Amino acid sequence: MMRTHIKSWDNLIFQAVVNGFLLTILIAITIPIWRVFMMSITPLSWKDNGTFGLWIPPWQWSFEAYRELFKHPAFAQATYNSAIITLGGTLISIVLTTALAYVLSNPKLPGRKAMMMFILVPFLFQAGLIPTYMVVQKLGLVNNLFAIMLPGAIGVTNTFVMKGFFEGLPEELEEAARLDGANDLQVLWHVILPLSKPILLTISLFYAVALWNEFFSPILYLNDNKLMPLPVLLRNILLAANINEYIESDAFSNAPIQAFKAASVFITMLPMVAIYPWIQRYFTKGTLLGGVKE
Amino acid sequence: MKERLKMKKVFSKLFLLAVCLTMVLSACAPKPTPTATATPAPVTQPPVVVPTATQPPAPTEIAPADIELWASGRVTEAAPPPDDWIAYTKIKDELKVNLKLVLLPSTQSDQDTKINAAAASNSLPDVFFVSRDTWFKLVGAGLIAKVDDLLPLMPVRTASHYSDPDRNRLVTVDGAMYGLPDPGAMPMTDGLVIRQDWLDKLGLKAPTTTDEFLTVAKAFTNDDPDGNGKKDTYGFCAFVDGSGLTAMGVGPRFDWIYGAFGVAGIFDLSSAANFGLNVRKDAYMQATQFIRTLNEEGVIDPDWPTLKKDEFRARWKQGSCGMMHENFAALSTQSNYKAFDENFPNGFWSVLVPPKGPNGDSADGTVILSARIYAISQRAIDAGKGPAIARLLEWMANDEGYYLLGFGEKGVNYNLDANGNITLDGLPDPAKAWTKAEMQPLTQLANMVYIFTPVELNARYPSYTAASGRQMDPLSYYTSFTKQPYTQATGSAIVNPPSNAADFTRFYSENIAKFVLGQEPLNADTWAAFITGLDGLGAKDLETNAKQTLMSAGFLE
Repeated sequence: MMRTHIKSWDNLIFQAVVNGFLLTILIAITIPIWRVFMMSITPLSWKDNGTFGLWIPPWQWSFEAYRELFKHPAFAQATYNSAIITLGGTLISIVLTTALAYVLSNPKLPGRKAMMMFILVPFLFQAGLIPTYMVVQKLGLVNNLFAIMLPGAIGVTNTFVMKGFFEGLPEELEEAARLDGANDLQVLWHVILPLSKPILLTISLFYAVALWNEFFSPILYLNDNKLMPLPVLLRNILLAANINEYIESDAFSNAPIQAFKAASVFITMLPMVAIYPWIQRYFTKGTLLGGVKE
Repeated sequence: MKERLKMKKVFSKLFLLAVCLTMVLSACAPKPTPTATATPAPVTQPPVVVPTATQPPAPTEIAPADIELWASGRVTEAAPPPDDWIAYTKIKDELKVNLKLVLLPSTQSDQDTKINAAAASNSLPDVFFVSRDTWFKLVGAGLIAKVDDLLPLMPVRTASHYSDPDRNRLVTVDGAMYGLPDPGAMPMTDGLVIRQDWLDKLGLKAPTTTDEFLTVAKAFTNDDPDGNGKKDTYGFCAFVDGSGLTAMGVGPRFDWIYGAFGVAGIFDLSSAANFGLNVRKDAYMQATQFIRTLNEEGVIDPDWPTLKKDEFRARWKQGSCGMMHENFAALSTQSNYKAFDENFPNGFWSVLVPPKGPNGDSADGTVILSARIYAISQRAIDAGKGPAIARLLEWMANDEGYYLLGFGEKGVNYNLDANGNITLDGLPDPAKAWTKAEMQPLTQLANMVYIFTPVELNARYPSYTAASGRQMDPLSYYTSFTKQPYTQATGSAIVNPPSNAADFTRFYSENIAKFVLGQEPLNADTWAAFITGLDGLGAKDLETNAKQTLMSAGFLE
């Protein structure tokens, strides 16, 4: 009785510490997001005093910055480009990664170790920016959205996580399928993939987040400004010089610039934040199963 | 079974999506850009008729050329010019140039990365905006062409853009110009200003010496100049501005103090014999001591070491500051002045002549003439594109190109008044005024044409009546600033930072800050130890190399 009591107290304290810690992290994460949101709904007529608090009364909320952003000539095009890069790139990446991981998960594959080395060595000792640029250029991909999607299409870490997941699936299932006359592709399609939804969605999320946030490759490989994705536009907005030092412009004074920047940050962040809860239930399962090898 | 069917459906949809995406992407991909060798201009071209405002070139005399221009946009967050931009049409029809414009990324490091990658793969564009450090490396690699032969082909532009010998030295290597140094930021835009209404209320006169400055600053801090009964004002406000070798120490907002002691700027550029780090001079220590005194007396806003630019500007708009060193446009243009005007309708900032130091020296700061360097790739010259590039740049300097790229289309985005000044009066659609945010894509190349003419300055910094009824003229502040003494320091812009530049500047700035903030005693011994520390980090080597660079570029004789 006494032991149970102590145990429950221990448990309670442990839970309190853990929950307190998680609550602190939650607050630390939420405050900046909340502040950005508050800044983004600052009325454009806000008297600028250079400071933005954590609270604006709801009757003062204004979505003018969002309206300005949606009216921005490059915004729609940049969003479209980002959507293409994210969807197309994720699809390409997941198809290629799945194929590679499945092949490598087969212990009977001839030259498996050599293939692994072939993948691992460039991963550990990267050639660098200029050689990569030259390869992309020689392939004729400069100024093409494929230049953003293809060079990083197969993530080595993701491949190994997925390979681990495939290796964890019961061999008997595959053997049964083969006894039924299935070939490799059929085994992958009809047996492995239906069981791999958690890892497929998890790895897709990794790729999608990386591609959605990609800004370096676009500024390097894309010359046509109309192909630039949202993060490049966001970066340009965030780094914008204080325009009113140079020109009188009634659309951008100090407060609206901050509101405009905050609105662009919030909008850029929103799709990934929105998609995460939808995939979350697969997330832990996928990474844990893929990361642990029996 | 059900699950399998579901998965099948999902994957079928995914593949369908992939096919659609591939089609979309293919449609998105731009047509391949013709390479330099695909449509080379003939090496022996017929004589080029230089376009002027009154004599457009006859199309039949000019061979068409494709020119790729990587430019730095005037407004980083704005979109590039639209496909149907009238300038594209005019350039194509009148100059026979198919202009392909690429706006470079917004930061210098990103620009450098993009240009370096293109250089490494020998695919530099024909004309490109480039930072001086990268430019210098590319010249060394033989990838940038000399432009001396092109200058006679663009006489108007050469006269208006490339006639400043100091600026030209920034792109000169071994006596030849390897770049086009367009005027950069306006010089002498920042100066000292003082709250005239506070002076009047306290019955004081504007300080003319550093001692008087201290006296006035004390009065502004202690005698309640705003009459609100609170001790919430400071004599002087500042912040640590700038970074890098040319802004070491406490930054340019304090340069006027070093100017009063005759040591404004990091280097003494007065002559080859005097050349060296100013920090070695006793006067530099005395100036640092004066800043320390301001700090100890509590007449300077104590948050100055950590303030950001925006925070500093919020302070003076809230009425905390009596004197400051500020940019004229940040001080006085309509949107910037609005908050101050609303808070203090009777407040007024007067230009303060920089106070003189103990030896009668004075300077409002340093002048570093900056250049926006446009380079022409050797590849473009080898392909015979030089004359076409000259045609394009000359057109930009002529009336048609200047107004079109700088202000948009006449009658649509701007009008000219009887005096030839830019005006928005009489525009059929005021929403299309060149000053509107939506119209910014049309003036993205304005930095290639702006040369600070009176017409341009009047348009960019118009006078107005503030809400308080005060007539404000930002250019009058600018004109007053330009009449103050400044120390010429353009040469310091070409001093190459040492390999340990980060350590060197950090050591320099941290020690000056410690002296100023009273964290370190300031006397001959501690100062000597500071100089010894700088020498240990290679100060002497820096001076030797800098002197050599400056002498070879003609900045020191």
